[in-house]
Amino acid sequence: MAGSITLRAGRRAAAHRAARATLEAAWVRWTLIAVAIGFLGLFLFMPLAVVFISALSKGLGAYLASFREPDAVAAIKLTLLTAAIAVPLNLIFGVAAAWAIAKFDFAGKSLLVTLIDLPFSVSPVVSGLIYVLIFGLQGLLGPWLREHDIKIIFAVPGIVLATIFVTFPFVARELIPLIQAQGNEEEEAALTLGAGGWQTFFRVTLPNVKWGLLYGVIICNARAMGEFGAVSVVSGHIRGLTNTMPLHIEILYNEYQYVPAFAVASLLALLALVTLVVKSVVEWKSQERIEEPQANWGMEPA
Amino acid sequence: MSIEAIGITKRFGLFTALEGVNLEIPSGELVALLGPSGSGKTTLLRIIAGLEYADAGTVRFDGHDISDRSVRERQVGFVFQHYALFRHMTVFENIAFGLRVRPRKFRPSEAKIRAKVQELLKLIQLENLAGRFPSQLSGGQRQRVALARALAVEPSVLLLDEPFGALDAKVRQELRRWLRQLHDEIHITSVFVTHDQEEALELANRVVVMNQGRIEQVGNPDEVYNYPATPFVYNFLGNVNLFHGRVDDGKTYIHERETGHLVYVRPHLLDIARQPNGGDHFRARIKHINSAGPLVKVEAVTEWGALVHVELSQDRFRNLALLKDEAVFVIPRDVKVFEVPSQAKTA
Repeated sequence: MAGSITLRAGRRAAAHRAARATLEAAWVRWTLIAVAIGFLGLFLFMPLAVVFISALSKGLGAYLASFREPDAVAAIKLTLLTAAIAVPLNLIFGVAAAWAIAKFDFAGKSLLVTLIDLPFSVSPVVSGLIYVLIFGLQGLLGPWLREHDIKIIFAVPGIVLATIFVTFPFVARELIPLIQAQGNEEEEAALTLGAGGWQTFFRVTLPNVKWGLLYGVIICNARAMGEFGAVSVVSGHIRGLTNTMPLHIEILYNEYQYVPAFAVASLLALLALVTLVVKSVVEWKSQERIEEPQANWGMEPA
Repeated sequence: MSIEAIGITKRFGLFTALEGVNLEIPSGELVALLGPSGSGKTTLLRIIAGLEYADAGTVRFDGHDISDRSVRERQVGFVFQHYALFRHMTVFENIAFGLRVRPRKFRPSEAKIRAKVQELLKLIQLENLAGRFPSQLSGGQRQRVALARALAVEPSVLLLDEPFGALDAKVRQELRRWLRQLHDEIHITSVFVTHDQEEALELANRVVVMNQGRIEQVGNPDEVYNYPATPFVYNFLGNVNLFHGRVDDGKTYIHERETGHLVYVRPHLLDIARQPNGGDHFRARIKHINSAGPLVKVEAVTEWGALVHVELSQDRFRNLALLKDEAVFVIPRDVKVFEVPSQAKTA
């Protein structure tokens, strides 16, 4: 009895020594934690709280009234429309580009990879200006467009185009490393079993990347709804027509209409929170798939 | 179905994977493509399958040129080294895949698919694991599922790329025996790639030894092991002692320097004695003895300073009662002499 107690005590002492050897001093740990929490609170939680507090400062009635205003409704509708067009297009483009880059070798491949990253490296304002220079009245295609009575800049098509440009790396960037890591073997196996190209894609490739794909789509969607810079340049800020939610918020704020401004902002903030939750769930799901137990159930006699 | 490869050449950039390879595989055989990595054996297999295209040459199945046919149309069963099972499908769905992707006209009914899969599950002895995912299986089980999946489409030939390469030694043994049995039952023309000479000699009716994109020798296991055509084959199949020598009047002399001939002796064809016994012999000093295993492995240093490996039976070793650092006579029972090739290949 006494022996076993000594043994346990000894073990605990050993564990304690090991812990001391691998940990920093207490004051270092607590300082680091305090700095991290302070930083997070000051720069992340507080602004988020301010958005909701300001939005609700005149009561729930005023808050809800902000969404009934026709301009707000138009802005929300336009934002949804833009995302509904941009996200599926970028989904198709992203999958096609990732497939081509990960599975094939071709001339200009590295150029394509660089181009996909371009929207990340260019300021959104510049992205918007590019469209003005191409489609604007004084732009490259301006005269032709005017002749045929097609409006792109200061109209919905321009907003959609700018949004597509800004958000197009998200899906491709997410998928390229994933498809590359999975290699070709499963696709080759499908081919030897008689599957065609589309069958192989839909039955083998797509199911293997679905979580990564979903992740890319979520991030792409969040950015498409929240984009300000590029859209601001091409929109023309026509109330009720070419204002997306972020632009609408800016206008309201500049007119000192704090409650409606923060009310619409709270909607975007909510979208961000929902995105984060869904993103975490997806990450957790895809992680789960990768780390499925590598059980060894033993060989039955052969 | 018989397979013929005629004048197959394949280059990857500057690297020549295959150089004018000719190979004929009669129907129903179990053939091993054996060689070190980079010898082109996997490339040849993939060209036969249609997963890779040759720069020159033709592939024929049963005499028909199928070089232009896609992998889909060739109807080969292919088993990958790392199984390549569909991760997101159960064992059952993996095996059923080849039947489910058929055009509607040729697709069997659901009941027939089920019956076929059940039959294959029985064949690979995994009936109770039909609902598992590949990640829940052991390596040996996964490879058997991969084999069943390949057999489900009733291929005309079965091609296996290092099928047991990723498995541990014991499972490999079991699967080898099982594959041999399977082949005896269904007699499908089968080609497998391996770098393991033991696996090739044990499993195949016919061994194709490859090196640097060429075929060195084709023969049954007995032929390639006992009558190697080239120094490479001798070297690659089993352990070997290499000496320099010269041939004079039909008699072989072993020398310490390069003299135009290479003399190969397998360790088990050397004997050790305390007396010269009048026959051929050379002197050596014993350096190391490893008596674990069916044969006793003795390492000795020859009188001219080279290392020689000798394998003795346990009985012989006990009779001799050899000791480390003892001076002994080494007696070759059989040697194989090759003229030194223009570029010496010594592995």
